[in-house]
Formats: sequence, C-alpha cells, structure tokens
Amino acid sequence: MAARFGYRAPRRREELLALLGEYGERARVLAGGTDLLGDVRSGLAHPEVMVDLKRVEGYRELGWSADDGLLIRPGVTINDLLGDDRVRASYPLLAACAQDLASHQIRNRATVIGNVVNASPCADLSPALLCLGAHAVLSSQEGRREVPFTEFFTGAKRTVLRTGELLEEVVVPPAGADARGSYHKLKRIKGHDLGIVGVAALAEDGALRLGISSCAPTPLLVDGLSTHDPVDEVVAAARAAISPISDVRCTKEYRTHMVGVYVRRALEEVA
Amino acid sequence: MLISVTVNGDVFEREVEEHWTLLRFLRDGLGLTGTKEGCGAGECGACTVELDGRTVNSCLALAVEADGASIRTIEGEADQGRLSTIQAAFARHHAVQCGFCTGGMVMSVRDLLQRNPRPTVEEIKEGIEGNFCRCTGYEQIVEAVLDASGQLDAAKGVLRHV
Repeated sequence: MAARFGYRAPRRREELLALLGEYGERARVLAGGTDLLGDVRSGLAHPEVMVDLKRVEGYRELGWSADDGLLIRPGVTINDLLGDDRVRASYPLLAACAQDLASHQIRNRATVIGNVVNASPCADLSPALLCLGAHAVLSSQEGRREVPFTEFFTGAKRTVLRTGELLEEVVVPPAGADARGSYHKLKRIKGHDLGIVGVAALAEDGALRLGISSCAPTPLLVDGLSTHDPVDEVVAAARAAISPISDVRCTKEYRTHMVGVYVRRALEEVA
Repeated sequence: MLISVTVNGDVFEREVEEHWTLLRFLRDGLGLTGTKEGCGAGECGACTVELDGRTVNSCLALAVEADGASIRTIEGEADQGRLSTIQAAFARHHAVQCGFCTGGMVMSVRDLLQRNPRPTVEEIKEGIEGNFCRCTGYEQIVEAVLDASGQLDAAKGVLRHV
C-alpha cells in the first residue's frame, strides 16, 4: 500500500471515541478493512490515522436481550453472525443476506456494521435490517443517539453519521415467531459478486415489508403492504419506490424488470 | 511498530510499517513468498492465509493488525517436505497449471475440509468461491478435493458419490 498512515488500536471505547474526536476527518475507523483498505489502495480514502476498533473490549460480541432483541457490536464479522445458532434460528432473513455477502475469506473479516455504515446502495445487509425494523446507536464523546435505519441513509455512501461519531451498535428487534423472510440477489455469477438488484421480503402478522438494494441512491424500505394485497399491486408499489440508474452492471429498465420478478418470487415464499 | 506474530508455529518479532499489508509482511518481511498477490483487492484469493484459525485475504489486512496473532501460510502445509493429503491430491489430479492460485486455493480447501470433511461438489464450489483460477479450470481442483476427502475411487477414475 503506497499511502502512509498511522495506526492506533485502543482497548477501551472511551479511548476510541476520544481518538475519533481528536482526529475528526483525519481518522478512519478500521473494522474488517475489506472496503477501507481497498479504498486506500485505490486512492479513494486518505486517512492520517487508522483507528482499529477490533481490540476494544466487548466489541466482537453479539448481545441479546428479551426486550431489545439482537445487539450487533462493531467488531462482529459476517461469519460471527452466521456462526451463531440463535441468529440462524431467530433471524433467518438476516442470515440469508449475510450468507450471500462476498466470499468466505471476506466474511471472516468484514463486519456487519461496516457493511451498513459504508452505505453502499448494494450492501447485502441493509435490506434485511430495514425489513426487521432495526436501528443504529451512534456514539461520540458528546453522547449517544438512536436512529432508525429508515432515517440513517441520506445518499449513495452518505449517512447521518457525524464526524467523530461511531456506529456502535445495531439493534434488531425480536422477530415474531410467525415471521417469514426471503432474499433474492441478482448477480452476474453464482459465486461472490456485488448485487445488481436485491430484494428482501418479510411477512409478519399479515404485514409485508420489502427491503430493496441497488435500485436507488440508498437501500429502500417499502412498508405499509399486506400479504393479502394483490401481487400486481405489491409489484407496482415496489416499482414506484425505486429510482434505478443504468451503469456498468445493467440498465435501469432491467433493474426495474427484475425488481418485479423478485418481488413475485418473494411473495410466493413468504405470503 | 514492533509486532510479534506466530507464523507456522515459529514466533517472529519484527518492526513493520503501519501501512504494510499482512501480505507484504509475509513476503518481504519474512520471505514467505508462497502467498501471492493477485488482484490486491480481495477478489482473487491468491493471498489467502489463516489468521487465528480463519482464512483471510492477506492483501486486505494490515501487518499491525496481526500483532499477537497466529498465522498459517502455505509454507506450513507440507510436513518436512512431505506433501499434505490436499497437496498430493492436487498433484495427482493436475489441479495445478501455472500454480499462482494454488497456495491460496489449498488454504481455502484445508479450511473447508476442517469445517466440512465430506463436502458435496456444490459445497466445494462454494468453499473455493473466493479463489480464482485462470488457467487449470476448476474441474480438476474439484476432483482433487473430492479425492482428498475420500470421495473418489481413484483406481477407477469415477466418483463414489456426488
């Protein structure tokens, strides 16, 4: 890597937040590094210092509480999530999205929070977290605030996160026992690839929610639907919500078409 | 920064630059050149090593992040010049052509077989999805993995089960 930078690996969250406060824009948080080190290598990121959060006490653990549900901390990798029996049993939709993310080597390093906080329109976990009604806990030296994921993304690779702030926890409420989910991701190959279109669907107590990726500047939630709605109406609602572009991967017409295909398939699985 | 790492069972203490990747440290710092740099972007898997028991792309990790860690590279695969079961199967099935991907491929196969000692063809393909081969083709590699996991009747050249 040609670019030079400093490296700090604090053990306590207070130290970490102090470093982020002190360095501000000049620091980048290093978690799995699978996006960040690529960005540094290709000249898209120029941090003066990397602040590694993996050694902070407790950051690699999943938390559970009866009221709040699943708590995902910033050092938790995709494979940590997949390796947890409770996640597979209680949040199969989240597990399905995680399983489709990149390769085994990447899943061993990439973190759940890193996938979300980079705010790529094609991030695999965002559609599931939107469907599940998850929220983000943002911490800084000034304090903490909670932001639902429906308000977290502000544009392609842009979020409400402020300088000096850390996405410290993702909280996923308990899913109902009758909840059914499905995830479809269009890729060029069956193996690891970025999504061209992603559709997550969650049906719970007759309510239907769709999480859609790669079809707008941000991941989208299409809410207020019912499993009893006619399929054509659900497809129309999904198509009305998206604003896809044509790019190197495919045209906006193809994305629009495939959203319909995947919504229909998802409804067959969850409704 | 001074780091201490265990690589293939040996402990090394070395001064490294903060911006060095783990891959660069292994190759240039320790002379372990079996780990290759292909894409440098976490796509091809030629740089796959085991870091604290998990396979990672060493091009996407910093050497300083490995401080205190235990690493296994392809150099740790053969036992005093004796090929491992996986290496022997790769040789037997001509699963190596230019060889550039082979080190990383073997690391992923080893990891796969530890998690799943008798993988199906589909599971093998998924297990090596993060490792690109651009010349042999994958058929021989899949055959080698079937053989290494005792699922190939080599004498008859047919699969026992798939």
